[in-house]
Amino acid sequence: MKILILGAGAIGGYVGGRLHQHGADVTFLVRPARQQAMQRDGLVIKSTKGDITQKVKTVLKGGEGGPYDVVLLTPKAYDLDSAIEAIAPAVGANTTVVPLLNGMRHLDVLDAKFGKDKVVGGLARVGVALSKDGHVLHTSPFAAISFGERRAAPPRASLAELDAAIKKSGIDGGLHKNIVQDLWDKWIMLCSLAATNCLMRGSSGDILEAEEGRAIVMETVDECQKVAAAAGHDPGEKGMQTIRGFLTVKGSRFTASMLHDLEKGSMVEADHIVGDMIARAKKAGIATPILRTAFAHLQVYMHRRPK
Amino acid sequence: MKILFLGAGAVGGYWAAKLTQAGAADVTLLLREKRAEIVRKNGLVVKSPKGDFTVPVKVVTQGSDGGPYDVIVLACKAYDLPSAMDSIAPAVGKDTTIVPMLNGHAHFATLDAKFGAEKVAGGLARISGMLGPNGEILHSGASGVSFGERDGKPPRKSLTELDAACKKAGIDGGLNTNINQDLWDKWLMLGSIASMCSAMRGTIGDIMATEDGEAIMNEILEECRKVATAEGYAPSDKAFSTVRTALTTKGAKTVASILGDIEKTGAVEGHQIVGDMLGRAKKHGIAAPNLRFAYAHLQTYEARRARGGLK
Repeated sequence: MKILILGAGAIGGYVGGRLHQHGADVTFLVRPARQQAMQRDGLVIKSTKGDITQKVKTVLKGGEGGPYDVVLLTPKAYDLDSAIEAIAPAVGANTTVVPLLNGMRHLDVLDAKFGKDKVVGGLARVGVALSKDGHVLHTSPFAAISFGERRAAPPRASLAELDAAIKKSGIDGGLHKNIVQDLWDKWIMLCSLAATNCLMRGSSGDILEAEEGRAIVMETVDECQKVAAAAGHDPGEKGMQTIRGFLTVKGSRFTASMLHDLEKGSMVEADHIVGDMIARAKKAGIATPILRTAFAHLQVYMHRRPK
Repeated sequence: MKILFLGAGAVGGYWAAKLTQAGAADVTLLLREKRAEIVRKNGLVVKSPKGDFTVPVKVVTQGSDGGPYDVIVLACKAYDLPSAMDSIAPAVGKDTTIVPMLNGHAHFATLDAKFGAEKVAGGLARISGMLGPNGEILHSGASGVSFGERDGKPPRKSLTELDAACKKAGIDGGLNTNINQDLWDKWLMLGSIASMCSAMRGTIGDIMATEDGEAIMNEILEECRKVATAEGYAPSDKAFSTVRTALTTKGAKTVASILGDIEKTGAVEGHQIVGDMLGRAKKHGIAAPNLRFAYAHLQTYEARRARGGLK
C-alpha cells in the first residue's frame, strides 16, 4: 500500500514518520524549503514514545511517485484549498482521501472536488507541535488517529490495510465503525473549548474561577450538542458527560490551541471550528448566543490582525 | 478655597493643574512618595491639544499635612479606594466635602459608611488622557467634570465655590443639579463600552466590523438601560441615542481605557464597572446575558493575572 502524506507538519510528520519507521511505503508531499531541510536532516521526531531521525521519501508535486492508495490530509482548515490543489494530481481512480481535520465543513469541500466515494472520515488526537527547526515534538502521552467509512458499510480494502499499518506503528485508534459520530463528538468538545477559551482569554481552569464561568461553559456545550442532534449525531448522555468533564476540571491549565495561536498573532481556524457550528445552528433554527459572542471575539481578532 | 486632590493621574492631575494655573483655588496634591518626588521636581506637566503647560503645585504625602481642606477630590481607581480612604481620613474635617470621581456606584456605600453620607457629594469626570513615561499628563480631548448634591438639595457653599473655580479655570461642566442622573448616564455608557472593548479585545470600529458586533453592542446597551431604569435613572432618549451612536460608529477608533489596562496586564475595575451593573440586573430580575459574559471575561482575566499566567 502506498501512502501520500500532505505536509510534514506536526501531525503529518508524526503519523507518517511512525508509519515509515514500521515499514509502510510513505511519501511526503512538501514545499521546496521543507524538502531541503528533510533531505539534509531527515525527519526528526522527539517523542515520549521514543526519538527517531530517519530518511524519508519526499515529492514536490502530487503527480510524482503515484498512484497512491491513501492520501492523508493534515493541513490547517484555512489552508484546505491549497492542500486540495496540491493533492489533486495524486488522487487516482482507486485512491482514498483521509482528511485528519477538525470540524465537518472540509468534508463537503472534498466531496465536491473528488466525489463522495473517494473521501472517508478521519481525525487525529496527537499532542504534537513543530519546532522552529522543523522537528516534530511529541510531548503528550497520547497519539491516536481514527478513520472510517462515513456510511454504514464494511471498510474498503485500503482502510483495512491502513488500520493494520497504524496498529503496527504503535499509533492508537485506527479503523472506527462510526467515524462521523466521533467527528461530531470531537467537534463539540473542541468548539466549546476554543470558543470559551478564546472568548474569555484563559484556560478552562481560569474560566471556572469566574462566578458564571462554569455555567457559560455548560451552555456552550449545550449549544453545540443541539446542533449535533439536529444533524442526527447527538453524542448521548455518556458522550456528553465525557465532554463536560473534560471542560470543567478545576485548576486545569489546559487551553485550546486556538488561544495559543491567537496570543501569538497567528491565523486561527475560527470559521471552520466556530463559524461553521453557528451556520449549522442557524440553518436548524437553534439559538447559539454564546457561540455568537465567541465568534464576534474571533472576528475582532482577525480584523485587528495585521494582514 | 482649599482643595486636596488625592491622585495626580489624567483626571486629578489635569484638573488640579488647570485650577492652579488659573489661580482659581488653593490646591494641594496628596501623593505617594514616588509620584510626589516627580511632581515636586517637575511640577505638573500637561501636554494637551488645548495647549501644553507646566505648573508647580503643593504636594503632601500625609493627609494630616496642610489641612483642613474645604474639598477633597478623590481621583483614584476603584481598586485603590480602601488605601485612598485611609490616606485622606486625617484630612477630613468637620466642614470637608469629599468629591469622588470614581466610575460606577459601588464606592458610595463604602465612602458613606466611613465618612457619613452628608460629607460625600457625587462627582464624575469626562477627562480623557493618560500618564506618559515621565509622569507627564497626556491629555487627549474632553476636559469636563460634573459634581453635585446626591440628595438633589441646593448645593452647599463649598460646591458652589468649586463650581466658580472650575469656570474661572476653563473646565467644562461643573455643578450639576442632577448628578445622580449624570452618574447613571456615564455608567451606562462606560458599562457598555468597557464590557465590549474588553471582552472583544478591540475598538468600537473593530467590533462593528464583525457580523454580530453591532447587535451585541445594542443588546448590552439595552441591558444597561434597563438596569438604570429599574434604579430610577432612565436615560433620556436623547442621551441614550447619543451614546448608542458613539458606540456603534463604523470605523471608530474609540476604545475603553480598560482595554489598555488589560493589554498592559494591569489591574482593572471589573467589579465597579461591569460586575456591579450585572449584580443590579440580577437584583431587579433583568436578563443580562451580555453583561454576564463580559464580567466572566474580566474575572477570568483577573484569575489568570493572579496566577501569573499572562505574558
